[in-house]
Amino acid sequence: MKADGEYLVTHRILIIDDEDDIRQVAALSLETVAGWDVVLANSGKQGIERASVEQPDAILLDVMMPEMDGPTTFLKLKANQKTSHIPVLLLTAKVQGPDQRRFADLGVAAILFKPFDPLTLAGQISSVLGWKDSA
Amino acid sequence: MSKLPPAHDPPAGADGNSPARDDTQQKLHQLLAGLWEQSRNTVAAHVETLQQARTLAENGQLDNAGLARAIDSAHKLAGVLGTFGLPRGTELARVAEEAFREPGGPSPQKAAGLRSALEELHNLVQAAVTYQGS
Repeated sequence: MKADGEYLVTHRILIIDDEDDIRQVAALSLETVAGWDVVLANSGKQGIERASVEQPDAILLDVMMPEMDGPTTFLKLKANQKTSHIPVLLLTAKVQGPDQRRFADLGVAAILFKPFDPLTLAGQISSVLGWKDSA
Repeated sequence: MSKLPPAHDPPAGADGNSPARDDTQQKLHQLLAGLWEQSRNTVAAHVETLQQARTLAENGQLDNAGLARAIDSAHKLAGVLGTFGLPRGTELARVAEEAFREPGGPSPQKAAGLRSALEELHNLVQAAVTYQGS
């Protein structure tokens, strides 16, 4: 575990985002700040496969992706017995109210917004999921 | 509508500024600086895509493919620049995304009005030779 004294339990997080930069920043953030295991996927299709095999504790899912967007990916994850129990947090750069309401109505665990602060991302995830593993 | 829990800042040491936290922040800063170095050319290419699309739109020559590329570039920039410590870049990219998302793309007048915002965005990215995060 890489934690620097603040996070005491290692979680496994799957990041699904088609943007290399965002995947890498989020991975660096969660690995460095919280010491969590990070699994990456660059598309909804790959994300569903990874989620089924890796069984992450949570999924960080981008909204706007080509071919299969975040909401569609979310619905497929929830329809799959192997992945339906995994909490999903949507990650979006869309700030309009109607979009936010539409995403919330899907039943996601939370909506996080881009741009995010790499230093606080793990704390936001822990907070919304009620993970009590931080000091 | 689902009730979503609010996001909070991460937990910190008792004084909110522990040595471990400082070390983590410094390490993360170094890693992000390296990543920004790798990403800067891609970011600059997205800005160039926007500038080209704006010029075409001002001349009434922006086709659907170019419009889709512009929307994609603006959206990506809006999401990533603030994460790299350039919140003004995110603001400018959002202005561009909003304009390019108008039905049929921006009018020539609207495109002309985007010139200064995209020039500022271009200059901001060019000036950010190193990572700008704290």
